Amino acid sequence: MDPRLNRILPRVQKPARYTGGEYREIQKDKRQVDLRFALCFPDNYEIGMSNLGVRILYGVMNNMDGVWCERCFAPWPDMEAEMRQAGIPLYGLESGDPIGTFDFIGFSLGYEMAYTNVLNMLDLAGLPVRAAERGEDAPIVVAGGTCAYNGEPLADFVDIFSLGEGEDVTVEMLELYRKGRQLGWSKAEYLRHAAQIQGLYVPSLYDVTYHEDGTVSAIVPRDGAPEVITKRIVQELDDAYFPTDTIIPSTEIVHDRVMLELFRGCIRGCRFCQAGFCYRPVRPKSREVLVQQGIEACRSSGYQEMTLSSLSSSDYRQLEPLCDELLDYCGEKNINLNLPSLRADGFSMGIMEKLQRSRKSSITFAPEAGTQRLRDAINKNVTEDDLLQSCRTVFEGGCNAVKLYFMLGLPTETDEDVVGIAELANKVYLTWRQYAVSRARGIRITVSTSFFVPKPFTHFQWEAQISMEEYQRRVQLLRSSITNKSIIYNWHDPDTSFLEAVFARGDRRLGPVIEHAWRSGAKFDSWSEYFNLDRWMEAFGACGVDPLFYTARERPYEEVLPWSHISVGVRPAYFWRERNQAYQSVITPDCRVKCMGCGADRLLACGVCDAPLTRREREEAQANG
Amino acid sequence: MAKMHKHRLLFAKTGRACYISHLDLMRTFPRAFLRAGIDVKQTEGFNQHSFVSIALPLSLGYSSVCEILEFELVGDTPLCEVPARMNAVLPEGIRVLDCYEAQVPVKQIAALRWVCRAQFDGGVPAGAGEQFLALFDTDALVIQKPSKKAKKGFTELDLIPLIHSLSLEERGSALELTAVLAAQNPGLNPELLFSTARERCPLFRPDFVEFHREEVLNANFEVFR
Ligand code: SF4
Ligand code: SF4
Repeated sequence: MDPRLNRILPRVQKPARYTGGEYREIQKDKRQVDLRFALCFPDNYEIGMSNLGVRILYGVMNNMDGVWCERCFAPWPDMEAEMRQAGIPLYGLESGDPIGTFDFIGFSLGYEMAYTNVLNMLDLAGLPVRAAERGEDAPIVVAGGTCAYNGEPLADFVDIFSLGEGEDVTVEMLELYRKGRQLGWSKAEYLRHAAQIQGLYVPSLYDVTYHEDGTVSAIVPRDGAPEVITKRIVQELDDAYFPTDTIIPSTEIVHDRVMLELFRGCIRGCRFCQAGFCYRPVRPKSREVLVQQGIEACRSSGYQEMTLSSLSSSDYRQLEPLCDELLDYCGEKNINLNLPSLRADGFSMGIMEKLQRSRKSSITFAPEAGTQRLRDAINKNVTEDDLLQSCRTVFEGGCNAVKLYFMLGLPTETDEDVVGIAELANKVYLTWRQYAVSRARGIRITVSTSFFVPKPFTHFQWEAQISMEEYQRRVQLLRSSITNKSIIYNWHDPDTSFLEAVFARGDRRLGPVIEHAWRSGAKFDSWSEYFNLDRWMEAFGACGVDPLFYTARERPYEEVLPWSHISVGVRPAYFWRERNQAYQSVITPDCRVKCMGCGADRLLACGVCDAPLTRREREEAQANG
Repeated sequence: MAKMHKHRLLFAKTGRACYISHLDLMRTFPRAFLRAGIDVKQTEGFNQHSFVSIALPLSLGYSSVCEILEFELVGDTPLCEVPARMNAVLPEGIRVLDCYEAQVPVKQIAALRWVCRAQFDGGVPAGAGEQFLALFDTDALVIQKPSKKAKKGFTELDLIPLIHSLSLEERGSALELTAVLAAQNPGLNPELLFSTARERCPLFRPDFVEFHREEVLNANFEVFR
């Protein structure tokens, strides 16, 4: 650790964020290391260390001989000011060495509001933020995560986007780098070769041209780069690295517990959900592997809490026996087993009752829309009956707080749908009146609405976002429709959702806007205490970019979208077909009921999505005759 | 008052671990016991975890080689095995030095010996040490200590009865203070000596002070365990 830090750390909030030294941090002998990687998360330590992807990549890279992967998080502004004042560049937590001297800097991009932190961290590392201005010796800057699927707004700053799951492609990327070093490649030569690896997108190898109306006219690859870059997936999750032996932070983080990933992908296909499509197809892990990894992770961490974390965990085929087996261990060791992302159905409620060791006082559901018509339009397969039945179950169990999450501004939404939210909440209230074990303690129903952001790689990628004024009007409408004192209404400010909508479907012309906003002080934009919409509007103005071009405009099918050259495996024609189904309020069955031929199966070597048995289970079944 | 815990760990907190807060340490040890496979008496209630308590919380950023953690072994782990097993699973900078049965309650801790290193980047000014010692060589030195509870926003505290001994040594561009100070009811944080000196001694303006807790003492100034 830089000795100057000893003087700074006593003055900053939560200094343990900046020291490293946690149990199981990886230290390596620099003499045996030929490749150094700074794994950066553009938010604070507590959030970054809670990210399972970061932990997986940390393990995968450090398992490679000669590679030392270190962590780096965005310093909170108090620490940043101290570092800048003392002239301390951004450093890796493990070695304390400046990351500007490393071979790679990799960012995990989970949300658009972290983009300014990416620039800020590059700057703190002492590097030019623009890729074109970084020299031969500067680290290669890579970015992965959900936002990388449309990384165009960051194209000026990033050398390589890594699309999809990083377990395999990261290793290939680093091995190619070693090969290039042996052969004496320049950075440009390395990037050209890297672009040939599936899943690696080198934005500088693509020329984007625009029509006069501002829409993209063409995206043309150069130097042999592929026309379409397809994301990577892990074929057999059972065989993939899982961090049972991961770092245990010495300070409290957001998800301070074991996170056990049951499967990747989601069978559901809610039409607004980017994760649901970007992580297709569904690939489960064997129950046996999960039990073993779950127990091992608890044992080796000392955590007394485990979360079964997947997009829609109750869709895990063998959830019940899995929970039983884990409970055998957890019960004995006083470990709480949690199942978030609960569906409102009888099966999930049954599992939940089994998991909880004491009465649950509060429960959360996300019906997303207030009427059946709109829920059908967004393909959220939750009926009012399901929801009220689930509420009845928990009320009979003594629960007296329900949280309900909705979105406002979904395509086809009418005032009737908005008022429907209030009506649904009221029905939940009436259900409580009828079935509560005791009404003495009252009930608290919290309704929360967020502002819908159309995302790329969803059925709604062509839709306009409603204006902030219209969102506010709908908020007021809903507010005035809620008259019951037991129902509390919270709504999100529309500012960040508006900006998110700009960047989620943005193109390369947003690069200068991000840079301008960052130079005028934008950072930690996902934190309300730092977010300032005026600063952003000023940046749009200064760069001559109209944010409404990205938010308020419905795109025709023929339009070349800024991410047209990226594939998550799902065919655009399928997205479009499903979009039209949304307008008819026609629901689409989930992948288990019927394959709708979205195309994601082509990513699988076996060609079968969500196989009922994993390879391991098939082999075992065969061996047992 | 809870009755005395049966067992104790003596541990050091140095280097990068100095920045682990007391609360975080209280989370770190129960997990470490589990990792080490050492069975420890649990708290009651829904979220059960190892029942531990740490005597005299150390300020953030200070180092120490004499921290005391109280707990109760319930399994059959031999006490002598505990330090090695814990050290294998603790964060860097936290080291268990000893594990033993408690004899006397921690409320008998009366004093702490501190070593504080005051760094003067431009070299130690002549006379700075003398000025410092002279400040405390008096019958009473009442200072105002900020307090949220007090109506006036501060309380008055006489430092002198809480100081048992002070000695200074010059080491390069630093002055090293060895101080034996009251530990509790009330205790004296050595930082107060330096903040007071900064206000009242024109020559004594160190650029940075490092605080190190060196020993825990009883009322007879013998080592407390
Ligand atoms: S259930 Fe729907 S919202 Fe949830 S992850 Fe799957 S597709 Fe997305
Ligand atoms: S190919 Fe069929 S089963 Fe596979 S993800 Fe697409 S729709 Fe679902």
